[in-house]
Amino acid sequence: MEIISPEGLRIDGRRPEEIRRFNCRLGVLSRADGSAYLEQGNTKALASINGPHQAGDKAKIKHDRVHINFQYSMATFSTNERRNRPKGDKRSIDISQLMREIFQSAILTDLYPKSQIDIHVQILQADGGNYSACINAATLALMDAGVPMKDFICSCTASLVDSKTIIDVNNSEELHFSNPLLTLAILPTSEEIILCQMKSRLHADHLEDILKAGIKGCKDIYEIMHREVLNHVREAAAVMNAT
Amino acid sequence: FRTLRPKEFYDRFIAENIRPDRRTFKQFRKTTVNVGSITTANGSALVKIGNTTMLCGIKTEFAVPKLDSPDHGYIVPNVDLPPLCSYRFRPGPPGEQAQVCSQYLADIIKSCNLINLKDLCIVKEKLAWVIYIDLLCLDCDGNVLDASVIAMLAALRSAKFPKVEIDEEVDKPIVSKDESFSLNVNDCPISSTFVLFDKNLILADPTSEEENLSSGYLTITVNNDDGLSNVLKPGGRGVNDAELNECITLAIKRARDMRDLLSKLC
Repeated sequence: MEIISPEGLRIDGRRPEEIRRFNCRLGVLSRADGSAYLEQGNTKALASINGPHQAGDKAKIKHDRVHINFQYSMATFSTNERRNRPKGDKRSIDISQLMREIFQSAILTDLYPKSQIDIHVQILQADGGNYSACINAATLALMDAGVPMKDFICSCTASLVDSKTIIDVNNSEELHFSNPLLTLAILPTSEEIILCQMKSRLHADHLEDILKAGIKGCKDIYEIMHREVLNHVREAAAVMNAT
Repeated sequence: FRTLRPKEFYDRFIAENIRPDRRTFKQFRKTTVNVGSITTANGSALVKIGNTTMLCGIKTEFAVPKLDSPDHGYIVPNVDLPPLCSYRFRPGPPGEQAQVCSQYLADIIKSCNLINLKDLCIVKEKLAWVIYIDLLCLDCDGNVLDASVIAMLAALRSAKFPKVEIDEEVDKPIVSKDESFSLNVNDCPISSTFVLFDKNLILADPTSEEENLSSGYLTITVNNDDGLSNVLKPGGRGVNDAELNECITLAIKRARDMRDLLSKLC
């Protein structure tokens, strides 16, 4: 099965440098301080923020920074094979830890000492790029909650197929083990790389190409996210002015 | 005022015979149902009652039937109330409310004989389907039970399962990629929840705030022939005959409305 057909199209009809259809909405949950729903192609993620509030666990209180509590959970029906343990297994805890470090670097943590922010991301359908969807959804939810941040965190995946780079990899492309998969998260305005993760073999010469492609993908996603946040704020302001 | 003194806040509205969200005491919130949004699942449904949102996903696996019922499959309902839906829930194994909800759904499946377990058998004594009904609460604003029941029904009715044949020589199941079948759902039980306050006050379809202020609840499940299939009233203040009858009448009407809604969809 070819990932890139002879005409240069991928399995789902995209060109190699095209990201999947990106849909997002802020403020979808009534009970959370901030929430966002995000669809990257068929991957669907829902994020909710509670806080900043008083830290629950005395052991975790940091006297000068906010403590970020991150929970990543995949619904049992989100993958093709039913997942028996949606959370609490090693992988979820590993991912939660990773996400906590990422957001620690972007949220202005000094503003809320001795407090806690709970971030909970639920993956409703997993079709590749789960970590990216998770980071993007959490960023949008933090924007909705009004938590001060240095910048958006935008994330995208990239891979290398027959020396051509492809971005925003979906599940069937991910399963091809011979291709390297790079997950990248950046602060878009400064192009600083916050997360760079690759768990396969890649020749050092290709690293620059695949990084550039990843950064471009992240910036494409940033444009859509930025536009959506501005729309949301505009609507909220209109409602407030009307009342 | 609402957060500091919720009881007084509510008393003011109740004196005028109305609730803060402008409903009358016996009115149910607007209910919407959406099926088929999760394509990785065999069947899925998203139900919103007011702000309360439940997502149901159905997945299947193979299993060996039990020894004492060799031609029965399994149905396993499971409700998950993650911290996502409300700040009251802590992360970790399912809490009390989730377990109670799961057990209630299992009781309904059994009492209405919702799915004939014999339909789930592929090869007697060797192979049968297990149907996992996973309900995920995305937003908890009271009355999770009712939303779960409707979501479960909608997902079961719209679910598609692949046909399985046994390859005789190798004795292995072959899952067909093209042919699928739907389940025969025998009944259509709809539940209605009421909360009890002092002074003979009963409110239908409570929000989270009302649940916190209440002194008891009552859930009535009505099946297809307008008969009662499950009644649950755990503790709380007592109800008399007249109140119970009134609730049953309301539950029957609500069941009819919900059945119409579901039949338009699936």
